[in-house]
Amino acid sequence: MDSASRLLTYQGIPVWRHVQIIQWAVQIVSGILVVALVVWFFSNMVGAIQDRDIPSGFSFLSREYQTPIGEHFIPYESSDTFLYALLVGITNTAIVAVAGVFLATALGIFIGVSRLSSNWIVSKLAMVYIEFFRNVPLLVQLFFWFYIVLELPAIRESFVVADAFYLSNRGFSMPWPKATEYSVAVIWLGLAAVAIVAGWLVYRRQARMEEQTGRSGYPLIYSFATALVIGAIAWLILSFAGGSSPFYISMPEPQGRFGNIVGGFTARAGLLVLLTGLVMYTASFIAEIVRAGIQSVGRGQTEAARALGLSPMSTLRSVTFPQAMRVIIPPLISQFLNLTKNSSLGGAVAYSDLTNIAVTMTQTAPAVSIFMLIMASYLAMSLTWSLIGNLYNRHIRFVGG
Amino acid sequence: MASPPVSQPEGMLPPRSEVGVTGWLHANLFSNWFNSVLTLVSAALLVTGLWFGLKWIFLAADWTVISELGGRFLLGRYNTEAACEGQNCFWRPQAALIMVSVLLGAAWGLRGNRVARAVAWLVAGVSAAFAFLPYNLATMGLDVRILLLLNLPAVPLGWALAKYTPLGTGTRVTILGVAIFFITLILLRGLPGLPFLQPVSVVYWGGLSLNLILAVGGITLSLPIGIALALGRRSNLPVVKVLCVFFIEVFRGVPLITLLFMSQTLVPLAFPEDMPQNSLFRAAVVITLFSSAYMAENIRGGLQALHPGQAEAARALGLPGWQTTMLISLPQAIRNVIPAIVGQFIGLFKDTSLVYIIGMLDVVAIGRSFIQSNPEYLPSARELFVFLAAVFWIFTYGMSYISGKVEDYMGVGRR
Repeated sequence: MDSASRLLTYQGIPVWRHVQIIQWAVQIVSGILVVALVVWFFSNMVGAIQDRDIPSGFSFLSREYQTPIGEHFIPYESSDTFLYALLVGITNTAIVAVAGVFLATALGIFIGVSRLSSNWIVSKLAMVYIEFFRNVPLLVQLFFWFYIVLELPAIRESFVVADAFYLSNRGFSMPWPKATEYSVAVIWLGLAAVAIVAGWLVYRRQARMEEQTGRSGYPLIYSFATALVIGAIAWLILSFAGGSSPFYISMPEPQGRFGNIVGGFTARAGLLVLLTGLVMYTASFIAEIVRAGIQSVGRGQTEAARALGLSPMSTLRSVTFPQAMRVIIPPLISQFLNLTKNSSLGGAVAYSDLTNIAVTMTQTAPAVSIFMLIMASYLAMSLTWSLIGNLYNRHIRFVGG
Repeated sequence: MASPPVSQPEGMLPPRSEVGVTGWLHANLFSNWFNSVLTLVSAALLVTGLWFGLKWIFLAADWTVISELGGRFLLGRYNTEAACEGQNCFWRPQAALIMVSVLLGAAWGLRGNRVARAVAWLVAGVSAAFAFLPYNLATMGLDVRILLLLNLPAVPLGWALAKYTPLGTGTRVTILGVAIFFITLILLRGLPGLPFLQPVSVVYWGGLSLNLILAVGGITLSLPIGIALALGRRSNLPVVKVLCVFFIEVFRGVPLITLLFMSQTLVPLAFPEDMPQNSLFRAAVVITLFSSAYMAENIRGGLQALHPGQAEAARALGLPGWQTTMLISLPQAIRNVIPAIVGQFIGLFKDTSLVYIIGMLDVVAIGRSFIQSNPEYLPSARELFVFLAAVFWIFTYGMSYISGKVEDYMGVGRR
């Protein structure tokens, strides 16, 4: 072996065939490439910012935003700061996301179970629903609902149900609990939280008792009763002490010459359209997940449970459902995440979600900083959903299996 | 040994209510009182829905908005005078369509597949049918109509090419497909210097053809990028792994719309000013990367579900690492996740409608901007979006149907 090729060997293997050396070389080269690319982009961006005098930095956050926001659930005025306006956007997105997740899950489970119904018509209707709403872009659906809501009657000719629910082209109003006095309401909410914790403790105690002794402990009944009793006692004491109950039900009522609706809770047209579209769209995916989850539980499981003498309801509750949940939860969480991200289409139907507000902001504030902030916000929301999903997954995974 | 004939005594026949139409009705619709109520309620729902739906479609709805938009649905503003000054560029998209017909014909000739034949004839047939639309519905010249009719002979031409010439292998037809995609892009964009291929700015691209170009480009590229990312994420090289995880999680954690906005406002800043800028290209790259991050997770799922014995056996037989991956692990992993992959393709196709948000005139934007600039058509918005939903549905449902056929062919879930 001549000296040149001996120089290029390591542990007696030529370097270009030595696995460890190749792996290190690949890593170093790819690392350097990526770093170089990022540095190049960054220097270009810094150069462009300096050349064209584009504003940058985060000092704008404490400036006044001075732009009205169409819909806000926390008090907002044009004189508030950019930072606060972004917070308004985050709450708007969060409210759509949470309300949408609950409604879409409920509708999705309903449709998914209908799809598995032994009734031919019900099953086919569910299939038509799924195949239609899953296969049409959300944007097209949102525009469809947008123009449907536009064609609803004007506010003075609203559809009214039981003098409590009003539907017009301005939105949908319904009765809503409102705090009589803020401090009393907060105290009651705190006590209600205590009641729920107490109920949960009772549930655990009764369940353990049932497990250890075999006697029926009725954990659900006892825990609900505990929570309700504590909550009710707190309510009564606060009502007597404060002279009025912590919350009252505010009814929506048309007022004045234009029939504007005062009181209650009003989901304005933008929110109504966005929520309808998101819920109908996501429910079709959730229905498929629910169907696949229930079908994934082997027929033998149900048969064995029935053979052991469990009633059909108990079979569903203690055998089929817990096993289906293992299959259902991970994709369900990713649908929740998708719903949250899809709410960024709000801008197309006149709902001021986070993306819409932020994109409007780029006209008066540095775009680079704003996009960094929105990316961070959405990543935080994604992480929150993943965290919830992982916690639940840890709770339901196979133990010792 | 032949079994003795079983004589069926009379009176042993199944009861009439368990067989035939009555049996089916009994088993599927009226098995108990709850099911019967459910059947009646949903049947009532179905009948009223159909009654009002059909009445609306055939009597109440005013579909003139669709015919008014006509060719703009397919090509946006491409055929207008502003797009190609003093010249005719109507033939360029038509030529691209004929090439697609040839390609579909070749795909049919390759395996003699029934689905491929149906798709090829459907595309060519619909295109040719457009040529016979009456003049008052579609303002197309005779030249356009003749080009549309040429789609019909294009299908057998492609079929013959694949059947009787050396072109007829899977690899070559795939290469032909990629080549046709790029030729289409060049045809539509034009080449500076060629008098008959005058450049047309991408701002004039639009309509369904824009959605299809974005979707085809994204679908072809997101699968290989997704595979690379999935392999990178599973690799034992820490630097590569961290980079892939970072890429996948960032692209999956942020809405596509936010990324599209960034591609239009921030990305131009990241490149030198004198570099040619193309907003459509940037949007296409973002859609592709977004989709490949999801694709990577699907493929990673397939790789994880694969029994480690497969790779171990390959290594034991002496296959080097990359051959184990390319020949043993990946093909099985991909086959197992075909439904998820096609689901992602469908998602990508639906996501192409989002370029509306950044001001590109895709098929949704064409419709909506028409309604906004012609308020007299505002009452027809419902018709417009029902039509758009139907157009998207045909493509997406077709994709999931073909995916089902491919799964059958590859034996997903059977071996």
